Amino acid sequence: MRATRGIEDFPYGKAPFWLMLGALGSLLLLVWVQLGQNANRPDLVLELSAPNHVIAYRTVAERFEREHGVKVALQLVNPRALTTRLQNSLLAGTEVPDLAELPIDAMRYFGRGPLQDIGFVDLTERLATQGYRARLVEARLSPWSKSGHIFALPHDVHPVMLAYRADLVEALGIDVEKLQTWDDFVAVGQRVTADLDGDGSIDRFMIDLPSGGSQGLSIVMLQRGLSLFDEHDNVTFNQPLTVDTIIWYLHQNYGEHRIAFDCGWGQPLAKAMADGLVLFYIQPDWRTHVTEMEAPKVAGKMKLMPLPAWEPGGRRTAVWGGSGLAITKRGKNPELAWQFAQELYFTRSELGKRFLDTNIIPALKDAWDLPELNQPNAFFSGQRLGSLYANLASQVPPLWSNPYTIIAEGKINEVLLRALEHYKVQGDRGLKEFVAQELDEAEAYIHRQIDRNVLSKPASSEQQAAARP
Amino acid sequence: MSNSAPRAPRRLYKGWAPYLFFAPFLLLTAVFTIYPLINAIILAFQQTNGPASRVFVGLDNFRYVLTDPTFYKALGNTTTYAFFSVFLQLPLALGLALLLNTEKSRAKGFFRLILFSPNLVGQIFVGILFGVLFTPRYGLINRGVQLLIGWGLNEQWLGNPALVMPAIVITGLWMWVGFNMIYFLAALQSVDKTLLEAARIDGANPFQVFWNVTLPSIRHVVVFVVVTSIIGSYQLFELPLALLPVTEGKGPDNSGLTVIMYLYDQGFSAGDLGLGSAVGWIVAAIIFFLSLVQIRIAQLTD
Repeated sequence: MRATRGIEDFPYGKAPFWLMLGALGSLLLLVWVQLGQNANRPDLVLELSAPNHVIAYRTVAERFEREHGVKVALQLVNPRALTTRLQNSLLAGTEVPDLAELPIDAMRYFGRGPLQDIGFVDLTERLATQGYRARLVEARLSPWSKSGHIFALPHDVHPVMLAYRADLVEALGIDVEKLQTWDDFVAVGQRVTADLDGDGSIDRFMIDLPSGGSQGLSIVMLQRGLSLFDEHDNVTFNQPLTVDTIIWYLHQNYGEHRIAFDCGWGQPLAKAMADGLVLFYIQPDWRTHVTEMEAPKVAGKMKLMPLPAWEPGGRRTAVWGGSGLAITKRGKNPELAWQFAQELYFTRSELGKRFLDTNIIPALKDAWDLPELNQPNAFFSGQRLGSLYANLASQVPPLWSNPYTIIAEGKINEVLLRALEHYKVQGDRGLKEFVAQELDEAEAYIHRQIDRNVLSKPASSEQQAAARP
Repeated sequence: MSNSAPRAPRRLYKGWAPYLFFAPFLLLTAVFTIYPLINAIILAFQQTNGPASRVFVGLDNFRYVLTDPTFYKALGNTTTYAFFSVFLQLPLALGLALLLNTEKSRAKGFFRLILFSPNLVGQIFVGILFGVLFTPRYGLINRGVQLLIGWGLNEQWLGNPALVMPAIVITGLWMWVGFNMIYFLAALQSVDKTLLEAARIDGANPFQVFWNVTLPSIRHVVVFVVVTSIIGSYQLFELPLALLPVTEGKGPDNSGLTVIMYLYDQGFSAGDLGLGSAVGWIVAAIIFFLSLVQIRIAQLTD
């Protein structure tokens, strides 16, 4: 009764009283939640974007917690958030995780500005002094490097092979041992790609390749030693071999002698495999696990072979994808984070178990003799997956990181599609010159982007320092 | 004397009261609207690497955007989508609303729900769904088109630059027709029935009734729907992102790139918030101009 009279006596009336009370309550709740969050913050936070990695790392995290008496949290984050938001958090000075397992193209976000703006601990010295550098596949340090400094540990190698429907390929009398070069492969492909029921649509293709270029074109270019940029950030794609590769790719995807079909991802890809619509599929080690999960109908019918070489005796693999573990500079305890990183990536027993869970061979070369990597895989007709990929790992080409990689990839795909328009109208007449001209324009466009970036130019460093808040 | 003494501070408080209660709103507006707006203006004249490094570059960001062919590609794609939103999506929505506005229609509520329901699931869901429907060889749309015209079974709707925009327009059609139909339906139900009846008695055919009575009666709603459709079209982002995940929403040869996606790429993916801000101001100016033109046309036809 007295309380009610008190509210009525509030000088601004009843409604404002409740509004003020609500506002005060919200404020107190906010403070309480914030304090609770700070009190419960783990000693180490690892953010990562691959769900199967979270499962694989859980046991290591639990053991690390017991041995060090600390609390470790593994947080699954969308890859886009992991890169763009983390970059902005690092630069804006807001809360960041202690470790982040980054996707392969992450350095394009983190390496755009000057070296000192990179928010990760420079691991170059540690890797050299602790002997890890010699034990890792050197080419796999390239995606995580900028100006000779290494900012993440490579998780994987991801050599690329071809998976094929062994039952159908054998029934067609194809001897995969004889598919040594792409010329051999295309010749057989033109024989088996066919409209089987006469309805005007092709019902059997030799290989699954993305029609718009994308990873397919990137893989064959890398296999041929064609990278978009070199380690000194020079644009390196504009050369006659690229012209030749783009025209080759175009011929496999379009025209009367095409042998490729774009199966896409997920269910359509699994159905194409099951139906035998396509015989050969580009398959890095991580994708074999996806195939096992998504296409159970082809279990025991698949086999793997190395990519055909561009010339006899040439490179039989390329690279697709990857991730790397970085330690943030502003993390709570970078030394503890480094210890945890070593546990995750360099503990042999864990790497063996992880291979069985993911089919991914580690970047640590001395782990390739682990028994788990040499076990026969029933899905792939009893082949020893780990050994097959490890045998190709030393041939994996470097993948230099660059802030303009995505733009360059987009430009290469544009060149392919414009070449297709030319091809539709004029066939092969003038195609080579057209592609060369398009590549010149693509290179000029990228140079325009690079020249605009005043923040990464050494000449403007004084200007940058003056501009820094 | 003793009675009037406590009333003075109460009047004083009452004088302050409106400002006191207004203060949180003003504070939030200042922090979350006015400050970002001013900062966005300043940012548009700077080159940045995220929020850390900033360099004043004058009009360079605007110069760059206005000479970048990719921006014009994005603008062209977005304008194409906006064109079909206004000239295909809205007439369809109006047509459906007219069909459902008949008193005889028993299943009116059912159809209204069915046509509106795509809007309940969100653009990401619709994008993923249509990504499956447009699958070469196995997609429902590919199979349907093959059945109807004997073409398109292996066609890459989302991999062929010429077909990407039609695919986005078709998806947008499915998503938004029902939504806009609801606006038209509400407007049609408020049309004066005596006017319609008078027109019919005077011998007007259904088209004449629609053109001379119904449409003028709902013209303010039409203007509103056209303006919001244009603004919505120029803000297109999630739908192509979900529909074209392999190319991060851009499609082959940037055939699905929209202006907001271009902004996002420059501002957040590339980390140049300054350039992103400049794109934002250019897009805002375009939307403002188009809305102004639309409203002016409506005023002239009053």
